[in-house]
Amino acid sequence: MNIVIEALQGGLGGLASYLAAHVLLCLVPAFFIAGALSALVPQQSIIRFLGPDASKWVSYPAAAGAGSLLAVCSCTIQPLFAGIYKKGAGLGPAITFLFFAPAANILALSYTGVALGADFAIARIVLALSFGIGIGMIMAIIFRRGEEARQAQSEAFEAGEGISRKTLVFLAALVALLIAGTLKLDFLKAVLFSIDLPLHGVAGLQAMLDRLVPIDEAVGAEGLSVQGLFLIGLLALIGVAAWRGLGLVDNGFNRLTPVALGLTVLTLVVAALGVRVSESGLLLTVSVRTAAVAALCIGLVPLARRFDPWDVQQWLWETWRFVKQIFPLLVVGVFLVGVIRVFIRPEWIQAVAGSNTILANMAGVVFGVFMYFPTLVEVPIAKMFLSLGMHPGPLIAYLMADPELSLQSILITSAIIGKLKAWTYVGFVALFSTLAGLAYGAWVDGTALWLLALLVGGFITLLLSTLHFVDRASRARTV
Amino acid sequence: MLIKILGSGCAKCNRLEQLTREVVAEQGLSASFEHVTAVDEIMAYPIMTTPALVIDEAVKVSGRIPSKEELAAWLKG
Repeated sequence: MNIVIEALQGGLGGLASYLAAHVLLCLVPAFFIAGALSALVPQQSIIRFLGPDASKWVSYPAAAGAGSLLAVCSCTIQPLFAGIYKKGAGLGPAITFLFFAPAANILALSYTGVALGADFAIARIVLALSFGIGIGMIMAIIFRRGEEARQAQSEAFEAGEGISRKTLVFLAALVALLIAGTLKLDFLKAVLFSIDLPLHGVAGLQAMLDRLVPIDEAVGAEGLSVQGLFLIGLLALIGVAAWRGLGLVDNGFNRLTPVALGLTVLTLVVAALGVRVSESGLLLTVSVRTAAVAALCIGLVPLARRFDPWDVQQWLWETWRFVKQIFPLLVVGVFLVGVIRVFIRPEWIQAVAGSNTILANMAGVVFGVFMYFPTLVEVPIAKMFLSLGMHPGPLIAYLMADPELSLQSILITSAIIGKLKAWTYVGFVALFSTLAGLAYGAWVDGTALWLLALLVGGFITLLLSTLHFVDRASRARTV
Repeated sequence: MLIKILGSGCAKCNRLEQLTREVVAEQGLSASFEHVTAVDEIMAYPIMTTPALVIDEAVKVSGRIPSKEELAAWLKG
């Protein structure tokens, strides 16, 4: 019986720390940014750089840009991948796009940053970018001869409209909101003023919450605060209001739309507020962060009014669609991870992946390939591994491999580019993920950055030149 | 009039079909609908992004959901 209670507490603890203030300050703006990218950025603005005549210097960065800006939705990834491959810049940039998309979209990036730390988020994007371009180029070299068969079709890439200025300003404001809410800077923490609310019974409530969801620093369980409870209540209210208020917004704004948006702003401001249980009640602290979040939320209103109502409706509809699609899976995933966490002994993880060895990194990659988790659930899983004593190196290897490779994505790619190319791609992703983990692990262990860059760069140069010579040799034989 | 919706069956694609059907009904037009989901068939059109709307084999829009006014203009034209 005890173990059941412990497992449930583990699940609740996971949920509580997932719905904690700093996570909401990151995820709520990230969902709105994802919605804005999907609804307001014309896809042609990036696709026009991916035509069949684009030079390598343009097409690879553009493919990476498309991966992070356009591919927030799975319904874009597949046709865009097929399109770049069959009609446009070819296999290399298509692979770069495919590799970079899951690691670099705004939701994955900001969630990684807030749950695991900014260093993991930066490592994830830098490694995914360099290795994504690397794998793309290698694939393009290996399969160079098949390339002529593609039907180059330039008309699909005709220059369309660019990203308008008001969209850029709007996106910048949303990103500023995300940054103001999450960045750990001293000046954001500066206290403006604080209020002491004389509320009796709060201390008792907190004591009850502590019994229900115990705080355990050692495993990273943050417990549930009164503030957290209030935020969860607000989220539930948003859910009720947004179901019609945002879900049906594309039929025109309705009465619940401002309610849902108002509640969202309230949630952000409360999350940015410092709340502490004191002897006499609640001590509320308004910091620069609180003021900045509130000011940016208000500032978004006139910026949004510059768009057509239809565009704003699309933005809100897309945002809500992302929330509906991802949030429930994430909540269930986080709860289950918390439950499973109770049953895994730290010794097991430390024995397999406690240090930065090739074997440990490969274990991370293999786990990533065979486990298929819904979008973003890889982050709480990684957090669990980290708290169990996994070395950061193998953890990055896992984070690189899990969203990139799953049986489902392998099947889709092989349907579009053929089995041989797809499995070659899988092999390279496994190889490079291991390499990424090793490199990051070595950096954490104290190896100098220039030495690592030299080693990784040397390895890739070696690989590229080998491929080049193999290709030349086989070509000479056939001629 | 033959109206094709190109898209892998994602939420946006279904929404586009629903909107188009609404406009067709409102305008009192007659049209047959086809929802194309096969990637090969979609890629035969000069588009890179879904959802896309094809009216009588001419691509009208891709990658976004048009407003009802836009739809009405294309359907009547």
